[in-house]
Amino acid sequence: MKLTEKVSKNQYYKIWFKDAWPYITGAVLLSLFQIITFATTGNPWGVSGTLAYWGAWLYELLGGSVEKWYYFSRAGVNATLRNGFLSDPGSMRNLGLIAGALFSVLIASGFKFKKIKSWKQVIAAVCGGLLMGYGARIAAGCNIGAFFSGISSLSLSGWVYAVFLFLGAMVGSKLLVKYFM
Amino acid sequence: MSEEVKSSGIQRSARRSKRKKRKSQIMKGVLVFLIIVVIGVLLGRISAKLGFFWVTGNAFGFILQKSRFCFTAAMRDPYLTGGTNLTKAVLLAFAMTSLAFFAIKYGAHLKGMPIPGQGFIAPISLATAVGAFMFGIGMVISGGCASGTLMRVGEGFSMQILSLVFFVIGSLLGAYNLGWWKVNFIARGKAIFLPDLFGWIGAIIMQLLIIVLLWIAADKWAQRKEIKTE
Amino acid sequence: MKEVELDCMGEACPIPLVKAQKKLETMDGGDILLVLIDHSCAMKNLPEWARKAGHNVEIEELDDGEWEVVIEKVV
Repeated sequence: MKLTEKVSKNQYYKIWFKDAWPYITGAVLLSLFQIITFATTGNPWGVSGTLAYWGAWLYELLGGSVEKWYYFSRAGVNATLRNGFLSDPGSMRNLGLIAGALFSVLIASGFKFKKIKSWKQVIAAVCGGLLMGYGARIAAGCNIGAFFSGISSLSLSGWVYAVFLFLGAMVGSKLLVKYFM
Repeated sequence: MSEEVKSSGIQRSARRSKRKKRKSQIMKGVLVFLIIVVIGVLLGRISAKLGFFWVTGNAFGFILQKSRFCFTAAMRDPYLTGGTNLTKAVLLAFAMTSLAFFAIKYGAHLKGMPIPGQGFIAPISLATAVGAFMFGIGMVISGGCASGTLMRVGEGFSMQILSLVFFVIGSLLGAYNLGWWKVNFIARGKAIFLPDLFGWIGAIIMQLLIIVLLWIAADKWAQRKEIKTE
Repeated sequence: MKEVELDCMGEACPIPLVKAQKKLETMDGGDILLVLIDHSCAMKNLPEWARKAGHNVEIEELDDGEWEVVIEKVV
């Protein structure tokens, strides 16, 4: 493994792959890909809408039916639902995101599988996940779809979302320090 | 800003945490890269759109991880730790994307074409407020929002795998109840596209002005916190 | 001058930073705090905060995805 040793000492490897980039670099590049996404597909980036489809597909695997629900009966949503997981671009983007992050940590030689440490973490993950999933559906999106893409799209809803997101984060911080630390 | 690993200049006792003999993971990284490319090619053969979404997903994941970008921390840290570096970076992203989105949308408007992406102009109602508030609590206690959770799944956090599972379940519950929210609140809410309110030029100026003011506030907030802790 | 170890392995953001902030408050100038972390985001925000607060900071990579952040408190 002489080659990897050589690579890990290379200064450009260090700057581009090993060390963390400045937040500003992240902001500029994320914006760039957000703009590319919008210019190419006509829609900005979204993450959590896809997770609702994942829920529906799993529910159908277990024998349930979402066909009569208002949410999934809308034309566009229903079409995506019927076309299935492997034909859904949003699902590929979400999986792609996981793969991109995995590549990023491995190439920096920083991957470690982190086990759940305590029951506190289990409760935090379960409650946090449920709150986010439910909240994102009724508020029409997550930090990406409703907040980042909403504000980028010059929608007042993005700013309203931001205000209540911030209030929620304050309450969440209090809960975190009190119960989950 | 980069965190390089330096030899110790700080005087400390001889007792040190054990250092394990490390195996480089770079080759595994290269392997994952090749798999990503193969999947991209296969998806691209099915449809260009699938391939495109896969690749942009890869890019988002890589950028988020590499810069440790975190929308959760941007909203949480000003209150919790007093740090606003991420908040300012998010505001910069908002300014850049606002300008570009404005250009694309205004361009379509001038050409008399339908304005793209108007589906993201969501109606404002109690559901927006309650949903965002719930989301804010959830992302802080579980340590990551939707994009952050996916990114951390890739990083190997089992806690975030669990929270992703419950995010999916929560989404399903939210979708199940959406009819009720729609009838009682969302249907009465109004979707407001800022250019309809202030005119095209007025809207972008207003929006950038607000972003700049928030940026200054974030900067001052961090300074104020620093003085307090000193 | 004392050395205190804070094991934050397996802890997610922002817990390592908040714990380190609290711990440092109880320490004196010249004391050293060793924070063990395996959360890559904390590896960035913890040293950034500590440097901004005026402390001396060094980072050691212990293993793949494991770091030790050494903070010398400066009053």
